[in-house]
Amino acid sequence: MARLALHDLSLAQGGRTVLEHVEGQFPDGAITALIGPNGAGKSTLIQGIMGLLKPSQGRIECAVPRERRAWLPQQLALDLSFPMSVEELVMTGTWPSHGALKGYCGPHYRKAREVMARLGISHLAHRPLGELSGGQRQRALFGRTLMQEAELLLLDEPFANVDIETVEVLTGVLRDMADQGTTIIVVLHDLDQLTRLADEVLLLDNGHARWTTPQAVIDQPTRGTRRVSPFMPTQDADTPHA
Amino acid sequence: MLELLNSLFIAPFDYGFMQRALVAGLALSLAAPALGVFLMLRGMSLIGDAMAHAILPGVALGFLMAGFSLPAMSLGGILSGLLVAGLAGSVSHMSGHREDSAMASFFLISLAAGVMLVSLGGSSVDLTHVLFGSILAVDSTALILIAAISTMIVVVLAIVFRALVVECLDPLFLRGQGMAGGLVHGIFLGLVVLNLTAGFQTLGTLMAVGLMMLPATTARFWSKRLEGLIGLGILLAMFATSGGLLLSYHLELPSGPSIILLAGACYVFSALLGRYNSLLAKLRRRDAPLEPRAAE
Repeated sequence: MARLALHDLSLAQGGRTVLEHVEGQFPDGAITALIGPNGAGKSTLIQGIMGLLKPSQGRIECAVPRERRAWLPQQLALDLSFPMSVEELVMTGTWPSHGALKGYCGPHYRKAREVMARLGISHLAHRPLGELSGGQRQRALFGRTLMQEAELLLLDEPFANVDIETVEVLTGVLRDMADQGTTIIVVLHDLDQLTRLADEVLLLDNGHARWTTPQAVIDQPTRGTRRVSPFMPTQDADTPHA
Repeated sequence: MLELLNSLFIAPFDYGFMQRALVAGLALSLAAPALGVFLMLRGMSLIGDAMAHAILPGVALGFLMAGFSLPAMSLGGILSGLLVAGLAGSVSHMSGHREDSAMASFFLISLAAGVMLVSLGGSSVDLTHVLFGSILAVDSTALILIAAISTMIVVVLAIVFRALVVECLDPLFLRGQGMAGGLVHGIFLGLVVLNLTAGFQTLGTLMAVGLMMLPATTARFWSKRLEGLIGLGILLAMFATSGGLLLSYHLELPSGPSIILLAGACYVFSALLGRYNSLLAKLRRRDAPLEPRAAE
């Protein structure tokens, strides 16, 4: 029995039903890609799984405790002017399990250093968040989920606006996490990333969901996916956001 | 020389009223700037001002019912402040409008209601006292009340500190963890109301905000770290309180405005000459050379 299962699930946003009668299990220790055209309900499903949206029908069964669920939304609500360093952001990943009151101690800092080294951001540890590029910021946020020791990780287009090198690093991190048993769900648009990353595919279209495999999607591309030319430069990926 | 220093800085505090004013001011200075820093970082710098107006009708009502009794006026202030914060929160939640528009509407209503109540019940002297306070009239009861409220603010702030930081930085992370962001926000606004209520006796409802916001906005020109902002804010508030009291003593100026104007002078000075983002820093800025690439 998988830790995350959907039973006849329907979700509505603002009175409009977005998804209907979704069934299925997200396999443990695997990366499931969520694909579909805009407005198909990918983000809605993620909000439902995070418990931010009540199902209008059916239920979501999730055996992962709250503090082990991590979520990286697409439209980051991150306040970049907040005076906080990369290391401090990474450290906030400890407190859902550690509690809001207890102080951090040696092992936490050691682990944060390991996490930052794994992500190649050790040299940025004391850099304020506002001075990071898109890719560096995404690595720091991944650092937070690694500190959280997430057992369920939800990602909404994690590679949008991120440089190629960062995509490589993050792909490796996601694969390692999956191998260690984390259930990962990732919203993707890019077919290249789909083949490299995903084990399973949940295709959303027109309010309905269908389970399939990456190979099947490649063979028969559907609406809402695109193949990015390898020669097309990633736009503005390394410009720091002031 | 020592004689002069003594007469300038020490002798004024031989008077009981100056001692009490100093202790009350320092207690407020310990609690207020941290709240100001969070208000500033959340882009809510003006909310403090709105809240200050919101406590006015409660203070006035307390004054009408119990006369010039500080506990009654404070209790009224806290209740009406919390009521306005709660109403503004629920209206913005219900309508989907931004919270500041609801807050602005309610604080204007409160201000008018407060002034109406004070005028109906008392003379204009009372109104001046409520609006502008008088730190030199702080008695022992008031002092205990101010110290107790300040202590409570510091303790509660310490408890919710980490949640508050995360809520400012990334509200979605907090919601994802099943923590009600609204709860943290509510506790924080409650602390702001408490602090303003403690401040109104000494500085008046309107200027109590000054001791909260000015040290915080000044510190921003000197530090880029949260701890630095709060620590520096507290030092600045303490400096403004003691310096302002001395100024008002020697030059026979009203005490509240002296304190806030001194804090304001620090702000203007920092905006011109501070370490970060000040006029001077902008003029002297050179683009830093590229860092050597870290070996990975």
